Amino acid sequence: MADALSVCFNFEPTSPNIKSNLELDRHIRNHVNAVSHIPSSAFLKNIDTPQDFLEILNPSVNSIPYAFALFHRTQTHDWPKGPKSVPDTFRPGGASWGKLVEFLDSFDPVQMRYIGDVWRRLVEYCDRVARVMGTPGMAISPVRSAMLQLDPSTGTFTSNHLQFMRTCLEAGSYTAALPILDSYIYNLPQNIAKALIEIEGSVPCAETSTSSDFITTRSGHSEKITLSDLHEYYMLGAIAYIGARKFKQALLFLEHILITPTANIANGIMWEAYKKWVILGCLVNGVPSAIPRTANSNAMKQIRTASKAYDALTEAFQAQGSKLRAQAEVGVQTWAEDGNTGLVSELVDHQMRLAVSKLKDTYSAIPLTHVAKFLGFSMQEAEAYVRTLVARGYLNASLDHTPGPNGTLVLRFYTDLTEGPLAKSEKEQHLELLQQTARTNKLAEQVKAADYRLTLNKDYLEHVRRLNKKAAANAASGDAMDVTWDEQEPEEDIMGDLIM
Amino acid sequence: MATTVEQAPYFLDRKEKNLLIVKDPPKFDLESYIANYEGRTRLKRLEHIAMYSSYLAVDALRMAITEAKQGADENLYLSLTELLQSISREDPLATPDVEWAERTFKANKLKQEQLEGELKAYKNNLIKESIRMGNEDLGHFYYQIGDLGNAFKSYFRMREHCTSAKHLTDMTMRLTFVAIAQRNWLGAQSHATKVDAQVAKNEERGKLEPVINACMGLTHMCGNNFRDAARVFLNVSPSFITSEPVAAINFHKEVLTGNDVAVYGGLCALASMDRTELQERVLSDTDFRQFLELEPHIRRAISAFCSSKYSACLQILEEYRADYLLDIYLGPVVTDIYHRIRTKSIVQYFKPFSCVSLDEMAKKFQVKDEGYPIEDELTSMITGGILNARIDLVEGLLISPAKNPRHVVHSDALKMAQNYDHTLRLRLTRLNMQNAGMEVRAPKVDMEKNMDRGEGFGGTLRRLGQGLGGFS
Repeated sequence: MADALSVCFNFEPTSPNIKSNLELDRHIRNHVNAVSHIPSSAFLKNIDTPQDFLEILNPSVNSIPYAFALFHRTQTHDWPKGPKSVPDTFRPGGASWGKLVEFLDSFDPVQMRYIGDVWRRLVEYCDRVARVMGTPGMAISPVRSAMLQLDPSTGTFTSNHLQFMRTCLEAGSYTAALPILDSYIYNLPQNIAKALIEIEGSVPCAETSTSSDFITTRSGHSEKITLSDLHEYYMLGAIAYIGARKFKQALLFLEHILITPTANIANGIMWEAYKKWVILGCLVNGVPSAIPRTANSNAMKQIRTASKAYDALTEAFQAQGSKLRAQAEVGVQTWAEDGNTGLVSELVDHQMRLAVSKLKDTYSAIPLTHVAKFLGFSMQEAEAYVRTLVARGYLNASLDHTPGPNGTLVLRFYTDLTEGPLAKSEKEQHLELLQQTARTNKLAEQVKAADYRLTLNKDYLEHVRRLNKKAAANAASGDAMDVTWDEQEPEEDIMGDLIM
Repeated sequence: MATTVEQAPYFLDRKEKNLLIVKDPPKFDLESYIANYEGRTRLKRLEHIAMYSSYLAVDALRMAITEAKQGADENLYLSLTELLQSISREDPLATPDVEWAERTFKANKLKQEQLEGELKAYKNNLIKESIRMGNEDLGHFYYQIGDLGNAFKSYFRMREHCTSAKHLTDMTMRLTFVAIAQRNWLGAQSHATKVDAQVAKNEERGKLEPVINACMGLTHMCGNNFRDAARVFLNVSPSFITSEPVAAINFHKEVLTGNDVAVYGGLCALASMDRTELQERVLSDTDFRQFLELEPHIRRAISAFCSSKYSACLQILEEYRADYLLDIYLGPVVTDIYHRIRTKSIVQYFKPFSCVSLDEMAKKFQVKDEGYPIEDELTSMITGGILNARIDLVEGLLISPAKNPRHVVHSDALKMAQNYDHTLRLRLTRLNMQNAGMEVRAPKVDMEKNMDRGEGFGGTLRRLGQGLGGFS
């Protein structure tokens, strides 16, 4: 036992002996090796006593042994299938559950980079328990903090992302998913040769290491990713955004599905995505969005022919009038089958909102009676409606009372964009621009990194090799030809002697 | 007499179909007006006037029928008499002289056979010049009897037998002439352009150019290209007014006169040019001034517009509206032209102001009695993007929207950056997918497995979607 403990404590990442990242890397790997060889019995001794490993070890400093200890604890019983198969201490509220949650909150990220497998199993266990106990919501916070702690950018897609989204949607808490969703995916786990890593010096423990370096296909942080996993993640993400009413982000997520490389064929999820995307386009921009340029045109054609009802909806939306409502009613069955009932009713509401806000292009002040007539509402209904629109930020206007005996209400639009409830002062604009610049710069960096990784791809290297061979061949044959033509004798006058 | 004409079945029928009827008497005197023209266009113009003007219908038709009887086109004669019948049945001229029609028809047929026989003979002889002249004669003949289609074809057949440049230009001018008579504007335009190219280096150019320009302008105007029409009309040299016959056609009498050029050119310019252009190219142009002297009211209208007296300008134009509606070429487009001039006036009028009361606008621009309120007109102009202003319905004002270029620049920059971000993120995802070898492929053998997968997934979506239905 003391043996095991000493092994656990025999880890000094800040020792002056370690001079380079490579050495540190080796040191950590040895430590992991040693700890993984400690038999599980050692970890399971003295549970719930002050001698408990989990009491002695500090989760943020000795994360590796602590993780192994927890892991072995969870392995004492079968993978939970029902509420009864979860021991009390691991139920939410129990002691071990508390320790698990605390660990997931406070582990040392650098150390966790090396034991991806163990880390993932702990996260999965936590999630599974919460679900099996019927309270999926309990897993959201721990899983989320685990992912963020490991990698604050959560930019590399893992199976945990997908699991997390499933849990969030089951629990119905859309806003809880936002922190993970907002840090977008900029990388997929790849297979990088070890030699290359050592040459680059991008070992996981390096300070400059990003998640693209240490979350690889072999690091264990994620199970194997397939395209349908990625699609499901984006779809669930879009649904979460819709639930949180962030339509613009939802639109972007759906586009991620639409631009999947395809062999001129569309699949079911792209079709589902398209249907939602079409409606969202109208909600966000007021007109149907253009199909992203990088989407495969054949696939898009196939999808469009299958979604005529939705295209008809958007046409009716643009045409104004009551056609939209009629169309929506006719297709009630279709929307329900696709799970788009909410979106369609949102679209119908939006058409009216858009019509009212379009008034600002023609009028600067309009009596509420006119607005009421335009909408077909009574005066009170119109007033209430307009107030909600202003409050929700759809209209840059205010309602005034006109002076005089009548004192009717007037809707006044602010033509000057620096006035009114939606005004943006120059300072605010400047701030926004700075933030946007920072985001774009970061994105550019990520693109550069992805591009660099692409050049290391086997297929690309083959391609370059072939090109080089061809170029060399051309140059070689060119020289040969040149030689023959260079030393040409002057043409002989063949006919000369015949004339005589 | 005018009232009984309006009750005539023909005009009642037109009224029911909502077709145009000009009730007001025009400013011109019918006889002196028609004396300006020669040839077929006299009859067509009189017919047009009769069809549209309840005031002049009977007089015009009487003149037309008498003249038609002296010609060779019995179809035109019969249609004119029919028209007069539906307007004023008791008129002696309304009953067609059927006997004359029969006679003319037989005579025409005879002449046609004769000419065709001659042409055949020439063709057998293979003498180019005779074939050419034979076709030309045939063309003339068809034109006289009103068979414009065949006339066109005959003239066209002359093409291969033309030996000199003069023949070519004559032929093309004839083709232009017939095309105009047929109201085939695109055809007329192409032929006029051809002639223009042909005489580009010719000495004949001085003679032909005004005619060509006048015809081109006409075709542009009837094709609703007012800007091009104005440009070409302004180029017409004043010698057009007294030009010599070209290809044996007196264009300035058989198609359009100098007055017509002045009116058409002036109106098209007003409809399509802005004030500086009008000042430079119309009023200060010495050549066009000679045309404008023929129609002084056009010049008055243009100067009023240039000196921002918009209501005066519009008023002058209104006075002559009846006249122009009765013109055979201008009639169909005059409403469009007037509408354009009106919208331009409103936009120009509003430009210097930041705020104008709607009453003021109404006073300056109020349309006759069919008043439809100035607000509706302004609203349609704003929604159409022609006028950049906002209406304040409460105070009754037309306001020019405040401009804040700095703000606009900033928000545009932000939008552009966001769009760029958006595209870049999509590209990044696609790049990663391709790098990982992820691609949607056609399903192979195990369709069932894939189908199940799809259903299960669809089921999840349905469940989730229903849950979403309830959010607010």
